[in-house]
Amino acid sequence: MYAYDQYDHALVNARVGEFRDQVNRRLSGELTEEEFRPLRLMNGLYLQLHAYMLRVAIPYGTLSANQMRRLAHIARTYDKGYGHFTTRQNVQFNWPKLVDTPDILQELADVEMHAIQTSGNCIRNVTTDQFAGAAGDEVADPRPYAELLRQWSTFHPEFSFLPRKFKIAITAAKEDRAAVKWHDIGLILKQNDAGETGFEVIVGGGMGRTPVIGKTIRDFLPEADLLSYMEAILRVYNEQGRRDNKYKARIKILVEDLGAEEYARQTEAEWQAIRNNPIDVPAEEAARIRAFFAPPRLEVLSDDVAEVDDLARQNFLFAAWVRNNTGKHKVPGHVHVTISLKPHGGIPGDATDAQMDLVADLADQYSQGEIRVSHAQNLILPHVAKRDLPALWKTLDAAGLGAANQGLLTDIIACPGLDYCALANARSIPIAQAITSRFDDMKRLMDIGPLKIKISGCINACGHHHAGHIGILGVDRRGEENYQLLLGGSGAEDASKAAILGPGFGEEGIVDAVEKVVAVYLGEREDGEEFLATYRRLGPAPFKEAVYGAR
Amino acid sequence: MAKKLSGPQMVIANRLDDGRVVFLDRAGGWSVTPANAAVADDEDAIEALANVAAASVAANKVLSVEVIEATTDENGAPWPAHIKFAMQAKGPSVRADLGYQVALNWEN
Repeated sequence: MYAYDQYDHALVNARVGEFRDQVNRRLSGELTEEEFRPLRLMNGLYLQLHAYMLRVAIPYGTLSANQMRRLAHIARTYDKGYGHFTTRQNVQFNWPKLVDTPDILQELADVEMHAIQTSGNCIRNVTTDQFAGAAGDEVADPRPYAELLRQWSTFHPEFSFLPRKFKIAITAAKEDRAAVKWHDIGLILKQNDAGETGFEVIVGGGMGRTPVIGKTIRDFLPEADLLSYMEAILRVYNEQGRRDNKYKARIKILVEDLGAEEYARQTEAEWQAIRNNPIDVPAEEAARIRAFFAPPRLEVLSDDVAEVDDLARQNFLFAAWVRNNTGKHKVPGHVHVTISLKPHGGIPGDATDAQMDLVADLADQYSQGEIRVSHAQNLILPHVAKRDLPALWKTLDAAGLGAANQGLLTDIIACPGLDYCALANARSIPIAQAITSRFDDMKRLMDIGPLKIKISGCINACGHHHAGHIGILGVDRRGEENYQLLLGGSGAEDASKAAILGPGFGEEGIVDAVEKVVAVYLGEREDGEEFLATYRRLGPAPFKEAVYGAR
Repeated sequence: MAKKLSGPQMVIANRLDDGRVVFLDRAGGWSVTPANAAVADDEDAIEALANVAAASVAANKVLSVEVIEATTDENGAPWPAHIKFAMQAKGPSVRADLGYQVALNWEN
């Protein structure tokens, strides 16, 4: 993992001191809310429905066990005993008091964490594949590049007041687990025919009220040129992005207006003008950063482990967990393990302080002290020996963390919705709870297979409903919560926009509608065909008929 | 207020120091209990409430002030009409055990 140097420590600590002073001046009345609001937002502090909310950055979703313990401590000491892991691989605390936030930020700074740039019209937390550094299918670990981008974008004076917020994601695997095509900039790490490492560069993706899938503007950018090229993309956006209309201010609108080819041309022209300036880091600095992400020294072990096979034969839930929640690691005899934060009937992404402490202990015991957060709101132990799986699963299961549903219908992404969020029009979490309770049968879920449901409580789409195989969007219909059903989205390498199937439903009706959609799939699927493939083959008609036919 | 409201109205806000949801009460203070909220029916009375609230904002006691439509709960006490503000009065529906509002023992 990256470790702060003296400059990182100095910057983050200075920021805590500055914010403490700002909070004191706000409380004393020296600063009005109008003056204070942009300052608190720059430190991740929102005001939501019931209280302030603090969004803490987890750079590219990587956490140490000690950092997780500190999050647990903050949840216990300053909040109400839980945190909420988000689709940006961050964590949010729902109940901090304004007066406590400087102390919370100091607690975070002491373990090399902060809430800087988790809000505001700046470059936000760079996200990546939750299995980075462990995945068997990656070209290289994308996190050194994400860290480079973090350092470049933190307090970047030119890009601190962009027309709108800006999100970057990187993947290095063929299977896109970071939804890169849905980001303002998506980067796909690859090797060219000469064996050189570089990036496919995608711009102009985004969700919100205008969902757009990003367009490739460069097939191969040598890795050494990453920062200067990013700077060129951002400069074109910063200069021409709309500032007159918040809803048309994201880069996706500019890319649509100019056309991807023209955007690429302007970026290229800007890049040629600046690429020889000292923006890109020297090879030694890139190597210094990369060294922090050196793979852990794992013993090469056998992939055949009798204890795992024996328990799997005896216990269906363990067998399902191994199948769904573990994946191929670079080192034989090891796996990465997804700890589902989606217990059936539970709140997607929430973890109690005790669960956070437990995950920290398990990371120390079984996973080299490392933890990841996925954009699907789960936690990952990236480096686990297969022989440890039975003991690990038993401990997780006893703590309510043993759900075997990774990638299945009940592994639902849901935004906080109207239960917490000041922007929401409808609740998201109770819909997720109702669906996971309705489908609370592992055999049935395994039969249905991979199926991603994503729920947002308003058109800002924090719950990624545009990218759901089944998407659900909560709206306010004359003061009542109403839910639209969308089908056919994907956040993966085959990215697609989900389409609205028809009129919306109330809370009960939307769960019935999901069940009808699943029934059509089960009735129509061909051998081995997953839900999304069946939908793409058949189109919306049979689903529409099943859902609305009786109306 | 940007949106024209109709019928009886009350004022909701968040307390500055801890963000807690409060209602402007009949004594011109802020109460965590919506049943204590001052409810105004006519334009002059509504404006008077809004003025008291604005003075509290200026005095850095509360923020995020909204004049909202009021209804009554099953006991006839003031209650926010719209679901969003009712959510603020009750706390998150999915964590009825945790909101500030738990201590108030809501029955609705």
